[in-house]
Amino acid sequence: MEEMVMATLDLITASPHSSSSSSSSSSPTTDNNNHPSSSSSSSSSSLCLSSISTRRTDLSTDLRLGLSLSPSHYSTPSREQRSSFDWPPVKSTLRCTLVEKSQISQFVKVYMEGIPIGRKLNLLAHHNYHALVKALANMFRTTILCPDSHQLPLISGNNVHVLTYEDQEGDWMMVGDVPWEMFLTSVKKLKITRADRC
Amino acid sequence: MNYFPDEVIEHIFEYVGSHRDRNALSLVCRSWYRIERCTREKVFIGNCYSITPERLIQRFPSLKSLTLKGKPHFADFSLVPHGWGGFVYPWIEALAKGKVALEELRLKRMVVSDESLELLSRAFPNFKSLVLVSCEEFTTDGLAAIAANCKWLRELDLQENEVDDHKGQWLSCFPDSCTSLVSLNFACLKGEINTGVLERLVARSPNLKSLRLNRSVPLDALQRILARAPQLVDLGVGSLVHDPAMETFAKLMTTMNKCKSITSLSGFLEVTPRCLTAMYPILPKLTSLNLSYAAGIPGSDLIKLIRHCKKLQRLWIMDSIGDKGLGVVANTCKELQELRVFPSDNIGQHAAVTEKGLVAISMGCPKLHSLLYFCHQMTNAALITVAKNCPNFIRFRLAILDATKPDPDTNQPLDEGFGAIVQSCRRLRRLSLSGQLTDKVFLYIGMYAEQLEMLSIAFAGESDKGMLYVLNGCKKLRKLEIRDCPFGNTALLTDVGKYETMRSLWMSSCEVTVGACKVLAMKMPRLNVEIFNENEPADCEPDDVQKVEKMYLYRTLAGKRKDAPEYVWTL
Repeated sequence: MEEMVMATLDLITASPHSSSSSSSSSSPTTDNNNHPSSSSSSSSSSLCLSSISTRRTDLSTDLRLGLSLSPSHYSTPSREQRSSFDWPPVKSTLRCTLVEKSQISQFVKVYMEGIPIGRKLNLLAHHNYHALVKALANMFRTTILCPDSHQLPLISGNNVHVLTYEDQEGDWMMVGDVPWEMFLTSVKKLKITRADRC
Repeated sequence: MNYFPDEVIEHIFEYVGSHRDRNALSLVCRSWYRIERCTREKVFIGNCYSITPERLIQRFPSLKSLTLKGKPHFADFSLVPHGWGGFVYPWIEALAKGKVALEELRLKRMVVSDESLELLSRAFPNFKSLVLVSCEEFTTDGLAAIAANCKWLRELDLQENEVDDHKGQWLSCFPDSCTSLVSLNFACLKGEINTGVLERLVARSPNLKSLRLNRSVPLDALQRILARAPQLVDLGVGSLVHDPAMETFAKLMTTMNKCKSITSLSGFLEVTPRCLTAMYPILPKLTSLNLSYAAGIPGSDLIKLIRHCKKLQRLWIMDSIGDKGLGVVANTCKELQELRVFPSDNIGQHAAVTEKGLVAISMGCPKLHSLLYFCHQMTNAALITVAKNCPNFIRFRLAILDATKPDPDTNQPLDEGFGAIVQSCRRLRRLSLSGQLTDKVFLYIGMYAEQLEMLSIAFAGESDKGMLYVLNGCKKLRKLEIRDCPFGNTALLTDVGKYETMRSLWMSSCEVTVGACKVLAMKMPRLNVEIFNENEPADCEPDDVQKVEKMYLYRTLAGKRKDAPEYVWTL
């Protein structure tokens, strides 16, 4: 799968070269993504819970050509953008204490399509999209996909959802397109909608 | 030695305590194996799935103390999905059935149900010590059973567990006849406790040396408790929130003055920085200080505190202390052996701690041998300096908050810096890497890190060569955990025999395919090769060419385990 890098790094053409690992037995990327990924600049925070089959292009060599990530974007390793989560490696007990300590919370309403009673969730208790989606998937007991997953065409049925949010302007957007910190400043409400509706 | 009667050899073996030494003894000859196994009282099992409890009990009939570890280390960082395993119940059941005279149970990263605790409390009349670290699933009901039924309980130590707090009064379940407590640590419990009950418990426990409270114990209760336990050696303060102008605060200071034996201090789960002055009377004697849960204390207050801690050997602190504060630590704590600096704010603003702090520490604290350091940046020059100043490192763990950040001064990867560390620290046993790293760092590690037992790698390396350098070079390697590195099938399959010399290998988000894992599993029947299939539907057999998201393999004599959840495929 072609993953486009964050806006700040679109100097690099993410050409679909196969994984640079020298392992001879590694297979070519199962590149079944031919549609222009114009809709989402899958930023460091976009995630793909769904598929093991997606393959990442190794951009490390390109990035090592001297382009440094802007320091304001925290912990965003170039190589595996979706796996930049759960970093830094701090135990969850410690992480939770920090969140409580900071005494700032950002509770937003979360609704799931078809269920009239909503929940509330503290966004600041999670540090990235991955953790947020995981928490919501647990809370609502469903599978939540990422927006640029190409499992979408394969899955039918009711138990697959995507996550959307209402921004400050009142528009409903797909979660995952912008960096996490930016998302936090613009999100007002969350909604878990059925995948086949999007 | 065969001319000595067994009793003499047994007596000699009594002096041999460490697990490794005892393991070595048992390999010398048959009669030593027999004598050793009959006299062994303490057993350590690093992976609960490596052997069955029945086999353990059969080999060591005199078993009194058991240590078990369950989930792999990366479970601490949410990389292991829920329900993976590590259930202690079958072990306790087997120990009970085998009529083992269990006195001590120490568990790490295991799933401990209330039923297990219930059974534990009833099946072993001599049970004395329960230590649970990073475990989950039990509630205060399970603790109530332990309190109520373990007549001779000496130690109940709960560290960083996920405990569901039911409203029951588990502390009240300690009978009045229970006077044997030496160590009580319930800092990780989130609920309220009855402070009156706690006070009475402390009052009737003359041997109590270690007490760690949770946040629900307010300052006035703390003062009353300490008044009854001036013999305490290790104190975990729950909550230190009070207006220092009040009388209770003054009382607390007086009481602290009387606690002449406290050498270890931790907790401060809730703290008003001004109240820290209450601790000043005991600071000069402290050898261990853990402020890693005390977020919200400004660096300046931390610095003021540290200036009093001249005898400190172990310090766990937040990075709000800053480079400057670490300089103060370096000037003050000349006996420092272990340092952990934790990140205080994930959504980082200012650079709290950098390579400068570490260099200062290395210059001021020559006895430093264990380090866990979260920082904003690191340079090769700094690492080279640290390596020169502190050749005695046993544990060196670095976590740069931007995981692939190069040396900011030279824009180079950190290969040379870590290379210097492994070359200089010949006794290094544990290493965690961070920052931008090529295959070169692994070449250095394979070449120099002869004592290395545990290596953690994330977002590093360029090719299979990296992993191969490590597997070929580090002869004492026991645990290797890798995430998000371009290591693939060649690296995995080149030396399959190596994995039987290790406890376990974890690889996630690498380039290894299902097919390669299958090949490995077929070649090595005494390894369990587990791949986690979190997102595919359970009945969909993954394609051989598909890359594996998470793989965990470990050597075992117990065969394929029967308690694996649906998403775990044991190949």
